[in-house]
Amino acid sequence: MRTLIEEFVLEPGTGKALELRKGQILRLEQIEGGQCLDFNCFNLDDYKEFFHCGRTRTLHGIHPTRGDFLWSAPPRERAMMYILADTAGANDVMFPRCSANLYESVYGYDAHTNCQDIQAEAQREYGLTPDDVHDSFNLFMCTGVDENGRTYITRQVSKPGDHVELLALMDVLAVPNICGADVMRTSNFAIRPAKVQIFAASDEDFAAVPPLRSWRTQRTVADFKVKAIRTERKLARDPDYRPEFVNTPIDYEAIEIALDAEELALLGRLARREQYGDRDGEALRDIVFSWWEETRPIG
Amino acid sequence: MAETTVTIHLNQQQKDLLDRTVAAGVAPDRIALIRLALRRYGELHAEKG
Repeated sequence: MRTLIEEFVLEPGTGKALELRKGQILRLEQIEGGQCLDFNCFNLDDYKEFFHCGRTRTLHGIHPTRGDFLWSAPPRERAMMYILADTAGANDVMFPRCSANLYESVYGYDAHTNCQDIQAEAQREYGLTPDDVHDSFNLFMCTGVDENGRTYITRQVSKPGDHVELLALMDVLAVPNICGADVMRTSNFAIRPAKVQIFAASDEDFAAVPPLRSWRTQRTVADFKVKAIRTERKLARDPDYRPEFVNTPIDYEAIEIALDAEELALLGRLARREQYGDRDGEALRDIVFSWWEETRPIG
Repeated sequence: MAETTVTIHLNQQQKDLLDRTVAAGVAPDRIALIRLALRRYGELHAEKG
């Protein structure tokens, strides 16, 4: 059984930074329907770890939904939250947040509600700066990619009561905001309130989360050569710097592979000639690692 | 059976992955693994060139 901890209405033009402990659920619900919400998420104990659209997009595609995770940016790459529910099925991790500059440059506004400034104002409660606002998880935002590879936004499909539930897998600062776009189709040319609830998760909620494996390469500050967060804005070269790039120099070894007639014919059939021409060695290398990628013979 | 030699250039990271695959018992050695990969990839993509 879930326990309700907090409930309020997020008013148009606003956002709210919310401390969520591991095991708490943030539920964002449509009141009237048709409202896009932007979302930022930070590790509450280390704000430099934050939600990353790119990592999430790579693992779950451009429309994350129920059953997907919200991942933090490299080099952390940890699951921060889990999408327990998504009744509208229209979320986006392609589009950037709207900004004051968008509304000035396209529409001529001196001032207009926008997700960058709303997020910044909400995050200011925790001492974060406008530069700390990151690419948003866009909830209730209908987007796609056309045949020419261009991204687009279409009109809203969400109805009253549609909701997204995000389970915190670590202590986070979760920051939802009402998207400020009322002169574009993102929220069907309006700005509306949304209902926000925080619950303590039930055993059933926890049971819904797939097991997660830990990796040595999910780095923490302890792994960093530079651990301190900069306070100076101006950049200056470290005279003591000596590059320590991983596995460098990259050295290639020529390895001779004897292929029988059958294998040679196979190579002839499989070689990507349009890519490699008559360079059989490069074609064979492509085949070997393509096989590895496709079959993952070791975990 | 007549054999033809193909020269493949691998860097240390690529050799590392193949060697760990060999160590897992997939093939007896690196050369055998490369030949195995070719045959298995052919099976996976039997219908297309």
